[in-house]
Formats: sequence, structure tokens, C-alpha cells
Amino acid sequence: MKLSAKLIYFITGSKLAVVLLFILSMPFLVARIASEYTNYSLRDQQKKALDKVQKDGIDYYLQGDDSYGSYTMLKEEYVAIEPAAPELLIDTIKTVERIVEGDTLSYRVLNHTFKAKNKNYLLEIGKTVGSINQYNKPLQRIALYVLMGLIALTIVIDLIFTRVLIRPLGKIIESKLLNRKFPFKDQSKPVKTTTQDFKYLDESLISLMDQINVDFEKEREFTANASHELMTPISILQNKMENLLADDQITEDVAMRIVGMMKTLDRLKKISSSLLFISRIENDQFVKLASVKLTDLLEDIKEEISHRLEDKGLTFSIHIKEKVTLKNVNHDLLFQLFYNLINNAIKYNVEGGSVMVTDAFNKQGDYQIFIKDTGIGIASEDIDFIFDRFRKANLSENVGYGLGLSIVKSIALYHNIDIKVASAVKQGSTFTITFPQVMLG
Amino acid sequence: MKVLIVEDEKTLAYEMETFLKKAFYLCDLAHTVAQGLEKIEVNSYDFILLDLGLPDGDGLSLLPKAKKHNPEAAYIILTARGNLEDRITGLDLGADDYLAKPFSLLELQSRMQAIARRKFNVKEEAIPLGEFSIDLQKRLVQYKEEQIELSRKEYDLLSYLFLHKNRVLTRMQLSEHIWGTFADDDYDSNYIDAHIKNIRKKLNLWAPTDWLETVRGVGYRIKK
Repeated sequence: MKLSAKLIYFITGSKLAVVLLFILSMPFLVARIASEYTNYSLRDQQKKALDKVQKDGIDYYLQGDDSYGSYTMLKEEYVAIEPAAPELLIDTIKTVERIVEGDTLSYRVLNHTFKAKNKNYLLEIGKTVGSINQYNKPLQRIALYVLMGLIALTIVIDLIFTRVLIRPLGKIIESKLLNRKFPFKDQSKPVKTTTQDFKYLDESLISLMDQINVDFEKEREFTANASHELMTPISILQNKMENLLADDQITEDVAMRIVGMMKTLDRLKKISSSLLFISRIENDQFVKLASVKLTDLLEDIKEEISHRLEDKGLTFSIHIKEKVTLKNVNHDLLFQLFYNLINNAIKYNVEGGSVMVTDAFNKQGDYQIFIKDTGIGIASEDIDFIFDRFRKANLSENVGYGLGLSIVKSIALYHNIDIKVASAVKQGSTFTITFPQVMLG
Repeated sequence: MKVLIVEDEKTLAYEMETFLKKAFYLCDLAHTVAQGLEKIEVNSYDFILLDLGLPDGDGLSLLPKAKKHNPEAAYIILTARGNLEDRITGLDLGADDYLAKPFSLLELQSRMQAIARRKFNVKEEAIPLGEFSIDLQKRLVQYKEEQIELSRKEYDLLSYLFLHKNRVLTRMQLSEHIWGTFADDDYDSNYIDAHIKNIRKKLNLWAPTDWLETVRGVGYRIKK
């Protein structure tokens, strides 16, 4: 579930719970408020009555009688003053049931004793409670409607707010993780946000990428330097051997041994120069400005490579339907890419096998080239590693040193070309090379 | 022809000298930019082989000054750096060719000869090769007046062997010359043998090719 959805669900849930609790506890709350208010108004009445007595004397109420009593018209309130025992001292507010003219009414009753003219009196003020409780139901209903409306309103606000709040997270993921192609050449800009946590995440990712870049840069530099440093000693050895081989005094046997040494040295030379080549590609040392007609390129490769077909009696066919020109590419690198793939298809083929190059547009409008061979195939457990440097599937000996496909991978990465392999052991492999639409001229 | 080798790696300079001497070049050695300039100021060379990473500076910095003293010379840059920029700068500064280390001395000599033909206008008539003749300028092999149809690679192979006549060239050296960086490392393959077979077949129609020898376990040689 999305974070924003979770947040909305949680916020809504907690709001609903609070509202529900409020609605349920409403009768109690209302009763409570009503009784507080009743108490207050009873006290107010008491004060008024006592003030009157103070000012005008007790006779203002008694009018010569022993006691005084008065009900309002609807029996909602009443006041009574009657003599009390001299020592009696009461000051209470209670809820009492009274039967008035046949109706049982619940009253909140204040009892208060006071002295007037040296006599003790009891003041009693009552107020019905029922008149308050009957409002509970409609009150609850109205409160429910109002609160629900408010909840709906706040959810809309919450939705908008969480969207805005969480947006930087999406931006961070998009700009730092999804849309970044390794190596991270250009410095990534921090995502604008006032949320401390996102800033922290963003900064951490930036520093992580910087770290990766530094390490990658070091590795690249090492590869370049190491292979470069190897070139001089290899040069010396190669030239020494060449001179030695030309020496008239050496015997046939020695000559053969020197040739053996030269082959080994040549292998070393090829590995070093392949590594150097890869690091040059990774260092952007090739310009991508050429336009290349694929049919021409493939024909050139066919001519260059055809002598390799004879050994195993292979057939090599190119069936290109589309007239495609690739733009902003490096011709030599593209040549090398196809050459290596086709060369592999030949190298790992079986007696009398075939290599076929076809093409098509895929659904997205990208252009694809398929190189299909009838070779020994790649085991599924190896297929993820075939583009890695020096990884070699457990094939027969004498099958290269695992840099051909690494070169292919660097060239593909450099041009934003996608390469996929499908393969089955003893049935052959198909390499699918996908050129994004933007490369097509 | 007089050659100046500017190379700080002494063993390498020495090997180049040994090789070129055998091909009848006169060689001088310099190991620093300063030494190189000194030699260029007093002598006149046909070829100046220039390493780029020298202890007292970049070989490229030497190029413009050297050209002032010795404008007729052909300059070949030799470097292990091999990046595109160096190559372009070198050629912009007037270098005639560029060889990335490690290179074969055979290749170096072949480039020097090509430059000589091009730059010094060395007019070579068709040179006899057994009963045939080879015209390096026109890239032709002829029997008397008859032109023999060789493929580009077959001609390259034959002319390379001819250029280094009396020297055994290994299959590896020959493949590297013909296929360059695309030469594969499957050394036991017989691509070269197949080409040689074709050359012999085409030539044998006209005259014997016993001057083109197979040297067992090593390679091929043109003997004269």
C-alpha cells in the first residue's frame, strides 16, 4: 500500500473513532453539562432570593404566613421557603423525584438554610431535569451530521496535504534511483523539500552515489593505469622476441619455442588492450557523432569475418528488412559490438551450423536486431554473468578470455543500447540488440 | 635512411635500433626531449620516431620545435597512451603516422616504407619476385604483362611477406597485420594457411612459387 494511502486511512480511521466516541458519550456529556448549568442557575436563584430577603425582609416572601411556595405555570421550577429547626444547617443540591399533580417529575433541588429575624428557614428551589434530556437524540444526530461533514472536508484537505508532503519522496526515488544510469556522471541536484527526513534521505543518497562514483573512478583509473603500465614491458618483450626470431643462429626448435612465447605474450597483450579499450569507453573517449547504415555495417563485418566460416562449414546470412540509419553513434565501436557478437556466434558454433541476423521493430517502436546461432548455447546459471569481465562459462578450452562480451556491454551502455540473451544449451543462443527510437535517424 | 629514435625505455629503443639496422637504416638514439632536440638541431633525419611519455616532458611538445629544424623528416608517434586525443593532437601537429604500443617492429617498418613511398616520392618500379613482379605503389602482382587477380587480403599478405623478405613471419604476425585489432586469439586456426594456399594456387597457374616457403612450426617466408 502506498504511504499516502496508509496515512489517509489512518487519519480517517482515527478521526472516525474520535467522532464515534464523542457521539456515544454525548448523552453523558449533555447530562453533565445540563446538571452543571442547572446547579449554576439554582445557585443564582438562591442568591437572588437571599438578596431579596436581606433587602426587603423575609416577609417579602412570607407575607405573614409561615411558609411560601411558588410553581411556574408548567411546573418546571418552584421556590419554597419554610421554617426549619433552629439548629438545622443544610446546603445541598440533589436530584429528587416529585409527584406533582399526578405526574412523576425529576427535579434538581437546592436546599439551603438561612437565618432571618433570628429564625431558621429552609429555602428550596427545584428545577425539572427531563426538559434537558429530551434534546439528546436530535443533538446527537445533528452533531453526527456536522462532524461527518467536517471529516469529509478534512479528508480532502489531508489528501492534498499528504500528496504535497510525500511528493519529495517520489522525486528523490525518481531522480536518485530510477533515472540514474551508472556511472553517475553528472552531479545530481538535491530535491527541494522542507521535510527534514526527506532531506536526510536525499543527502544520504547523494553521498552514497558520490562514494560509488569515487570508487568506480578509482577502479577505472586503476584499470587504465594498470593496462597502460603493462604495455611498455609487453612492447619490450614483443620486440625482443621479434628480433630473436630473425636471428640466423637459432635452430628450428628454438624458433618454434619463441613462437610459442610470442603467442602467450600476444594473449597478454590482447587482454591488456581489451581492458584499456573498455576503460576508454567508460571514460567517454569516443565521439558519438556518426550516422551508420546498419546494412552497410553488417556487410562490412561479413566481409571481414567470412574467412572464419570455412573452418566449420558455417552459413552466415543477413536478412535485414528495414532501412535503418543510426545517428549519434561511434562507427568503430558499433562495428566492434556487432563484430564481437557475430564472432562469438561463429566461434561457439557447431560443425555445419548457422548464424542468422534478422531485424524488426518492437511494439514500442524501437528497432531490434537478432543474432541467432546454432551454437553450443549458454547454461541458464551462466547467462547472467556472460557480460562480466573474465567470467567464463565452463566451456571447452581455447574459447577466448571473456572480454569480448564485456566490450560489447560497455559499448552498448555507452550508446544506450539494450542487449538481451536467450539461450538453451546445445540449441544455440539469440542475442537481441535493441536500439531506442531516439537513435534512429 | 637516417632514423632518430626518441624513447626513454632504453631496452625498447635498443630493440628498435637492432631491427632497423638489419633493414639498413642508420639509427640514432635519444632518451629525453632535451637529447632529442639536441640531435635534431645538429643532424638531419628521414624518420623521427617519437615516444610521448618522456621523463622531461611530453613528446608532443618536441614536435613543433623539431619540425622547424627538420621539416622534411617523417614523424611517427609511438605511444602506450593510445587515446584519441593524443592521436588527433599528434596528427594535427604534423605527425605522419601513429603507432600504439605494443606494436610489431614489422608493422613499424611497413609503415615507414609506406610513408617513404608517399612522402619522399620514392619511385619504385615493379620489383621482381621469382618470375613475377610486385608493384607496391600500384598494389599489383604481375607475371610478365599479365596482372594476377589477388583479393585485398591476399595482396596485403604477399606484400607484407615481400617487405620483410628473408625473414620468417609467424601466422600471428601476419594475422595482426591483416586483421589488426580484429585478429583473434585462436592461434591454431588456419586462416593464414588458407590465404597462402589461395595465393600459391593463383600464382602457380603461371610459374612456380618456390620462393614462398613454409617454415615448419613457425610461419612463412619469402626467400630471395
